Amino acid sequence: MSRSASLAAERLRSTSSARRARERALEICAWASLVLALVPLVAIGIFLIGQGVRSLSLEFFTSDPPGDLSATGGGIRNAVVGTLMMTGLATLVAVPVGIALAVFSREIGGRVAAAVRFVVDVLAGLPSIVVGIFVYSLVVVATGHFSGYAGAVALAVIELPVIVVATDELLRLTDRRIDEGTRALGMLRWRSFLSVFIPTALSGIITGIMLAVSRAIGETAPLIFTALGNNFFTLDLNEPVQAMPLLIYRNALNSAFPAARDRAMGTALVLVVIVLGFNLAGRWIARRARPADQR
Amino acid sequence: MTTMAPAAGPSEEREQDVPASAELAVELDRVSAYYGSRRVVREISLPVRRNAITAIIGPSGCGKSTLLRCIDRMHELTPGARVEGRIDYHGMDLYAPDIDPVAVRRTIGMVFQQPNPFPTMSIHDNVAAPARFNGLLANKAAENELVERCLRQAALWDEVKDKLKAGGTSLSGGQQQRLCIARALALEPDVLLMDEPCSALDPIATLQIEHLMADLKRIYTIVIVTHNMQQASRVSDQTAFLTLGDDRAGFLVEMAETVEIFTNPKQQLTEDYVSGRFG
Amino acid sequence: MTPGSHAGGIRTLARRPGLSQDGWFRLALRGVALLVIVPILWMMVDTFSVTVPVWERFGIPGFVVGARWAPSFTIYGALPFIYGTILTSAIAMLIAVPVAVLIALLITEILPARARTAVAVTVDLLAAIPSVVYGLWGLLVLVPFLRPFEQAVAGTLGTVIPFLAGPTPGPSYFAAGVVVSIMIVPIIAALSREVFAATPRLQREAVRALGGTRWDVIRTVVLPIGRSGVLAAIILGLARAIGETIAVTMVIGNAPKIGASIFSPGFTLASVIANEFNEANQELHPEALIALGLVLLVISVLVNGLAILIRGRFARGVGRVA
Repeated sequence: MSRSASLAAERLRSTSSARRARERALEICAWASLVLALVPLVAIGIFLIGQGVRSLSLEFFTSDPPGDLSATGGGIRNAVVGTLMMTGLATLVAVPVGIALAVFSREIGGRVAAAVRFVVDVLAGLPSIVVGIFVYSLVVVATGHFSGYAGAVALAVIELPVIVVATDELLRLTDRRIDEGTRALGMLRWRSFLSVFIPTALSGIITGIMLAVSRAIGETAPLIFTALGNNFFTLDLNEPVQAMPLLIYRNALNSAFPAARDRAMGTALVLVVIVLGFNLAGRWIARRARPADQR
Repeated sequence: MTTMAPAAGPSEEREQDVPASAELAVELDRVSAYYGSRRVVREISLPVRRNAITAIIGPSGCGKSTLLRCIDRMHELTPGARVEGRIDYHGMDLYAPDIDPVAVRRTIGMVFQQPNPFPTMSIHDNVAAPARFNGLLANKAAENELVERCLRQAALWDEVKDKLKAGGTSLSGGQQQRLCIARALALEPDVLLMDEPCSALDPIATLQIEHLMADLKRIYTIVIVTHNMQQASRVSDQTAFLTLGDDRAGFLVEMAETVEIFTNPKQQLTEDYVSGRFG
Repeated sequence: MTPGSHAGGIRTLARRPGLSQDGWFRLALRGVALLVIVPILWMMVDTFSVTVPVWERFGIPGFVVGARWAPSFTIYGALPFIYGTILTSAIAMLIAVPVAVLIALLITEILPARARTAVAVTVDLLAAIPSVVYGLWGLLVLVPFLRPFEQAVAGTLGTVIPFLAGPTPGPSYFAAGVVVSIMIVPIIAALSREVFAATPRLQREAVRALGGTRWDVIRTVVLPIGRSGVLAAIILGLARAIGETIAVTMVIGNAPKIGASIFSPGFTLASVIANEFNEANQELHPEALIALGLVLLVISVLVNGLAILIRGRFARGVGRVA
């Protein structure tokens, strides 16, 4: 065999044994990692469904928890309503403010906008308990009592960066040609945003909102010292208000008692279903919109 | 060709002292355009005759589009970009400090190389929206009438009259471009600037637009930038030939009646370009 | 009526006095930005002022390095909690980083295109589960599950290395580290996925054309080009680990001291605040807890800031990441 042929054969041969074995091993490790990560997901699912379903009943949704967590019976009505109220109010505030901040960042630009963006990014990375402390200092101390409003403010602060970032990303993708088109028509800027840019980005913004909501619904730490929690049912946000994550937390601390355990798991099941529902709905909206955007 | 019925709107803004026989719609006087300190268009003086088509031709990168964009004050939107010189429009300098550039852009319309209809609006809304936003429409009837008139002027009405609610982007390339023309016309501009309007279109669509331009010039004044010499010779009344100078800025070599430029140019450079020797 | 009758209304080209409408728009935007940013900054300042008595009492270094936390004696020190935060985060990162990066590589490089979205979304679901649910599951399922393993390690390696010694009551730094690792895997994986997906096609094909396998592509092109992006993803995971509160507080055992081994109970900065705040009625107790919150804030801002910086460098290098 000539020299070049044997070298070629050598090269062909060297993609074998040792190399292939090493790569096979790496691939196995990668698959193992995936399985490892998915095991908790499945485990939690089984845990929640298996142990949580039996707590669900009509009573569970229509009555309030007993004052003594070790007692059986009662439900989570005040927690569900409290979560809905606070998250709803928080979203109502965070969405227009978040979109406005993103528009600000796009339209004004420059160093001021960069500074604002930086603050928002920092806010996005803050531990939610720090947010809770901030709102505690600002609202609870100022008003003198815990309240659902304070809780809503804390949740709004948590939702805000998510919405700003999502809206900003989408506005950034606005076709330059469309932007030029609006300018060449002499359209006023606010008009352009309202009638052209934001509607074009709308489904992405909605996705951002749904992801923000799904996060806020599940937050516990910021509510611990703002909304505090409440054993009774109330529609008055000026009082301490119960929320589902808080309820789970308090019952979990008493999980030596079976009644508290069961209550915690039932609530957790409901909470996860709602959170995943929002999360998946948001992603589905994003997927549906994408083909139209790629024009 | 339908006659232009007056659109409902603030009629007090319309004066009658516009001399119908005014020869020039726009006159450029030693216009230079810069990006920062770099000059890309050098001292161009150019008359634009009313109700005629003026073509600006020249090799790629010689500043034709930049010059066009100076006329409706789009050039200055790029950070660091600026314009020197004077652009005369009915006796006023468009670059005077007391002139609102946004208002200028409503008066001088532009059609771009790539059609850019608003993606979330229907065909009807694409045409009506800019007029609506500027308060030019009194009611729904006026709006519908405007949409029909503009689509007819853009030679698109027959093709879309049954699907006015369809999305603006559901049309073919050529149709989209005519939609953009209709949209620009909805603001009743005096002058229509067209920046290589056919370069993204197929030959049939291109011919349609060229026919359209011949009709439109009876009412509007048109300035078209094109790299297609044959197109310029087909549609335009006057042609200006620009090329890149040694200072890397575009300058005006020659401007004359189109027939003259293509058959009997006075400058050697022009002769070389139109006979295909460079560019 | 001639068209361009605007031509007749030349005066309408003139600027109106005062702000143009666009000018008002910009002003309004600035107003909103101010309205949002100022209260946020104010919140921080206000919070800081609450903690001043703590700094005065112990001094900043004294508090930060203080190893004793005894509210009944009005002695406060942050060290046990800083230690707990660092330890649990370290354990979490040790587990999560290799797992997450391998998953990201699997999704972008090995899986067929059809399976990619489904698997990616499934992994991302891990991030959607609320912290309190992780804590609940961790407490009731994971901790008992880990105990035999902990006891095995403590019984063997633990006899030689005190750091790994028993007793193993269950809730511990280790348990918290494991729970947090599960929670940050999806974050690191999702960001790394984007980084890897951004690898230029040209480079990939170059390796393939030279006869490279998929792993050659990974080694030669994907990982080197994505280095800083993955680093940013890892640091963001770290930031999340540092701030994790509720899940940690439910499985860490809540002991305000520096535990001797990883199987000892302890506290992190975030978890102690959640745990003690509502019953904090000793002198200076609430203020000290808020001071701990500020320490956490500083650490968090530094880590997040680092991530943003590195991410910026990556974005400039290759093109956009998220």
